[in-house]
Amino acid sequence: MQWSPRAPRDDVNVSRTHPLSEAASLVLGIGFALFALVAVAWGTLEIAARWLPYDVESKLFGGLRPAVGGESHDTRPHDDAEARRVAVQALLDRLSSHWPERPYALRVEIVGAREPNAAAFPGGAVLVTDGLLRQVRSENELSFVLAHEVGHFRNRDHLRRLGRSTLVGLALAAIGFGDASAAATSQPFLLLAGRGFDRAEESDADRFALELVVAEYGHGAGAADFFRGLPDAEAGLGVRVAGWVSTHPVSEARIEALEAFARERGFAMQGSLAPLPEALAHDRAEP
Amino acid sequence: MQGLGALIQLGLPLLLLVVAYFTGSFVERRHYASIRRREQRARRLPVLAFRDVPPGWEVQEAALVTGTVVISLDHFKRFLANLRNLVGGRVVAYESLLDRARREAILRLQESAFEAGFRAVVNLRLEGFQVAGQGEGRGTAAVEVVAYGTGLRLARAPGGPEA
Repeated sequence: MQWSPRAPRDDVNVSRTHPLSEAASLVLGIGFALFALVAVAWGTLEIAARWLPYDVESKLFGGLRPAVGGESHDTRPHDDAEARRVAVQALLDRLSSHWPERPYALRVEIVGAREPNAAAFPGGAVLVTDGLLRQVRSENELSFVLAHEVGHFRNRDHLRRLGRSTLVGLALAAIGFGDASAAATSQPFLLLAGRGFDRAEESDADRFALELVVAEYGHGAGAADFFRGLPDAEAGLGVRVAGWVSTHPVSEARIEALEAFARERGFAMQGSLAPLPEALAHDRAEP
Repeated sequence: MQGLGALIQLGLPLLLLVVAYFTGSFVERRHYASIRRREQRARRLPVLAFRDVPPGWEVQEAALVTGTVVISLDHFKRFLANLRNLVGGRVVAYESLLDRARREAILRLQESAFEAGFRAVVNLRLEGFQVAGQGEGRGTAAVEVVAYGTGLRLARAPGGPEA
């Protein structure tokens, strides 16, 4: 038997597709399909958030105790912490009484985080941070922040937000960014996703909050103090680099928008400030 | 600040992909150049898949010869394959990887056979393994190809006159 040496063929087992054109068609194709899917789901969620019956929401999320914030930095005794919660709750109840159609009881939870913040969660939980309680200087200022969260409940922004973050998380998981090691990576996508919409929502909630505060105190004095007292986190790099990325419209713009709204409605923006409730009063020397 | 963080967290994986594409294709081009060069030399040593010694070959000695290679996936190929996983179809990104592994394994078998004084290999078999990165994409995925066969010392070179 004769054996003759031949050069092996080079081009049979490897496709000629260039890796970059393969990458482009895959990324574009999958990206487009995913975008379409997310757009449809997004629209569905917007509608669902508007129409989800309140009792269903309470049933679904009533037991939700949001795990946010870290260890409590509050070293005061437990009774004292409860007294503070009750004081904030009382304030929230007074404010939400000006929204008589409110469909469910709102419940205050204080979390031990240092940064001043508040948040609305599905099921009616209003989260308030230690840092916020330490920063506010008048009842009016705290009331505005609480009323702002009530505004999110009225517009059902909390549901929309939950739906959105779930949706974006799912979409990212689908293209392989969602596994445990990449959970941190997906965070910025998540944050970016709802920004443009959030700003409109924040402005709506601001206007509703001002209405509640004016109904309670007869004037809107002190309402915007929270924005004035915000640490420079928002006024620093964040604003210049990406004003539109920031969830909350930049503080100054928000104050101006509030004042314009007050003028339009004929709300008084001057008046005497109510002192903080006894349980929340803090001496200024405290860090 | 968040914007900057997002930029870093978005940009870093993207940068990694770009770097992996360039390093990956550089390594692959270099490997193919080496494979083609060595195949030109090695093709005079016949490697056959027959189980039996072809008639007419006068065998003086026979022994097992092997050639193995482990080739790693690069990040860019893995990214492509992951996307391909979603929609199905030929995983083009891995084709060149397997092609290189198979040809390199056979080349190493030929080279080791030649060094041992064999002038032909029969009963060539190829096996593929995944030696790393098993399960949930942890670690570095790599493919191992083992080529083994029976090296023959012959009285006369196949297809030629005296050895």
